[in-house]
Amino acid sequence: MGRMTSEPRAFVAIDSGSATRSASLVGRVGDRWRLLGSLAAPSTVPLESIVELVVERVLAADPALASTLVADGGPDPTGAAATIAGSLRQVTATTGAAPRIAVVAATDRTLDRLTALARSAGWETIGMSVASADALAIGRLLLARDVDAILAGSADPPGGDERGALPDLAALLGATAQRRPERTIVLAGGLADQAARVVEGRSNDAEGGPVLAPAANVGDPPGEPLRALLDELAARAGPGRRTTVRAVAALAAVLDRSIEAVDIGRSGGLRIVARPGPPGAAPTVHWAVDSRAALVPSTIGDEIVDGVLAWSVVALDRHRMRDRLRELRDSPWGEPYGDGALLRLAAARAAVARLVAATRELDRPTAPDLVLAIGGAWAVAPGPAIALALSDVLRRPGASQLAYDHARLLGPLGAIVDPGELREVIADLADDLLAPLGGVVVPAGLRPGRTAGRLVVHAAGGSTELDLVPGGLELVDLPPGSSAVAELQFRDQVSLGTRGRRFALELGGGLGGLLIDLRDVPLRLPDRLDRRRELLGAWQQSLWAGLED
Amino acid sequence: MAIVDLIPTRPLATDRPRIRIALGPGDRPLVAEGDAVDAGTPLVERLRDARIELVPDAGSAAAPGDRVGVRPRHARRDAERRMDDGELLFSDGGRQRVVVGESVDLVEAPASATVREVRSGSHLTIETTGRAVPGVLALGVPTYGRLDLATDEDGELRPGSVDVGRAGTILVVGSRVDAETLTRARAMGVRGMVVSTLPAKEERDFSASERRQRAALHQLPPFGVVVLDGAIRRPIAGPIMALLRSLSGQQVGLSIDPPALLFEAAESVTFDPDAIRVRHGSLAGREGRWAGPAGLRRFAGGVHLEAGFVRLDDGEIRALPLADLERFA
Repeated sequence: MGRMTSEPRAFVAIDSGSATRSASLVGRVGDRWRLLGSLAAPSTVPLESIVELVVERVLAADPALASTLVADGGPDPTGAAATIAGSLRQVTATTGAAPRIAVVAATDRTLDRLTALARSAGWETIGMSVASADALAIGRLLLARDVDAILAGSADPPGGDERGALPDLAALLGATAQRRPERTIVLAGGLADQAARVVEGRSNDAEGGPVLAPAANVGDPPGEPLRALLDELAARAGPGRRTTVRAVAALAAVLDRSIEAVDIGRSGGLRIVARPGPPGAAPTVHWAVDSRAALVPSTIGDEIVDGVLAWSVVALDRHRMRDRLRELRDSPWGEPYGDGALLRLAAARAAVARLVAATRELDRPTAPDLVLAIGGAWAVAPGPAIALALSDVLRRPGASQLAYDHARLLGPLGAIVDPGELREVIADLADDLLAPLGGVVVPAGLRPGRTAGRLVVHAAGGSTELDLVPGGLELVDLPPGSSAVAELQFRDQVSLGTRGRRFALELGGGLGGLLIDLRDVPLRLPDRLDRRRELLGAWQQSLWAGLED
Repeated sequence: MAIVDLIPTRPLATDRPRIRIALGPGDRPLVAEGDAVDAGTPLVERLRDARIELVPDAGSAAAPGDRVGVRPRHARRDAERRMDDGELLFSDGGRQRVVVGESVDLVEAPASATVREVRSGSHLTIETTGRAVPGVLALGVPTYGRLDLATDEDGELRPGSVDVGRAGTILVVGSRVDAETLTRARAMGVRGMVVSTLPAKEERDFSASERRQRAALHQLPPFGVVVLDGAIRRPIAGPIMALLRSLSGQQVGLSIDPPALLFEAAESVTFDPDAIRVRHGSLAGREGRWAGPAGLRRFAGGVHLEAGFVRLDDGEIRALPLADLERFA
């Protein structure tokens, strides 16, 4: 894609996902880029209709703006919105269903490692091992129509329990290569030594051979080289969420803040941990994708149902919950209000929990400066409710700002190829693209008791003083755009990134204000579902205005 | 730009749908690419008891996927020692692994079609000559039969209502059906069902029943289920029901991948383009006509959504979120 900002005075950023299409109109106002308007609709709605409506609404709100949006030689700025919309350049991010990889190995141990790596690289996996399936079942898996690639591997050197199975596995892969020459086969670890058997008998016009890769336990961290290779292969199937990773990295550099982003969508979940580098250096970015961390995964097993029930404040039995989740998976835009909104947020919490569990390698001991919510899962929930959901699941001691990519801009902006231009656009748009949800302070190591200490918040409007009651949630009104200094004095030592009894933190406000979260780290909830619902409901009630409507 | 354009559209029928039939190693395709087939033409012999036989590889030039001869394991007399055949899965160490089996299910074409792709061990694709009403889920195998409206669009069929008089038919059963009715219908020779919704529990119970039948190597008559809407109860959409009424008594087919009802009568597909259906929420299943945009409105839970006015079939006008609505195209 060429430079977006050299000539045009406006462009449309399009996020085309498997559930939602959104269009944001970004225009030059004064000497900087501003978000002028955005609109999201189900992915079955034609994109042109969405873009046209955004432009129409922006022009209706400020007709004078039209002349500043249209480039010289462009259409008549007083003309129809459709014509102006059609003349604007577009920058697009597309996400869809994860590509599918069949994973085979000699042992279940290796299978589990390979499967975890493939998942974190953005593949949907289906796997079998020689130890637990016969050649017929493995052959059926390798030949299945909906498989995009095959990953086969062993330890390097192969373990004693693997060696005997490798020749048969290689022969089976060779037969698959003959019958499906278009299918990419990755041989990892000691199985790569069997590459000659895999290419044996392949027709001469077949393209390439198997891709040889390091074993799942090689590299630092272990498996990283194989994961990088699988990521590269997944990228050939579609850019997926990689543009979001680029944009979050650029945002970390621009804001000079550490960021943890969780993107929960219909086809998968993405977790990004980005830290700004030293001046002039690129930020450090680690990320992982997992298709099982979709808002509702394609297969709704009992563990998925139970996971959502554990966060649900709506009383449903397992059968009914499964039906609701199936409807949510097939029609993510359906009934996003009332009980539907509560269910969606419970599913989002469960998805984040699955994502975090699947990406433990990204865990950091302390909270990042900024926690960013991305993706359709959060689309219609009020800001404070999103803040609470994030705080429920991402629990680390420390203080963070919470924000939401409300216009779904990060994905498309990450598609701007030129790094300098990407940084420039993100620097201009940072305030517009992030909806501030609030600040959250999570101390760990509080002892049970009537009070753990005192909090004084010094804001522009005056000071607020509160008792710190262990197990509770305290909310301080701090509107978006304002900041405050919070002085916390605890009776005993606690962890807030560092250990101590007295802390002074500068925090920004947001839609949910300032949340002092004195609940356990990690969160402990009653085992009984009814009591759990009651407690979750009470917390949610305090932050979700209009919930009782 | 009209706000009504933001309401998701749903195709009432698609033309010449391509239908895939999954094949496993050992399954024998009975047709070749380019063949024209009619409803009922055998397409595939699907092995129910596939297993691997080890056969000495005497320098044969057979490639994986080829049919190769296999002598039956338990043949005692010369007369029984005729060569059977199976599909070569792979060769290694001087031995061929051949997929064989004795018991087969015949998969028949659900509609008139042309065979577009045959990939042994993987799938077979046919392109039908007619049209299809898309569904969201299908169970069973492709099938065909005479369409019979068992209930109205909001009805529910009980097991006792299905008898052998319905054999050979594809039943339209309105808003929902349970697993017991499905298994009874299969036992009575019904060829399939079209239903608006199927709860996940019923789907699991019926699928488990199918698996048990297969594990017992019972010969199952072809039976398919196509779900049009989802899991939570709602009636069949008016335009679809009108189409089904017009097809009543005619031969139709059911496709499993993708889920769809197949039919030939192209002239039957007519509908009111201004009709709006409520797909989700407390009014799910109600229908009406577009009455204009309602702007951004606050709904239960303090959620703000783009909305529109809909004049429901009883004359009441309601502001509803656009995302809860659907139009037919």
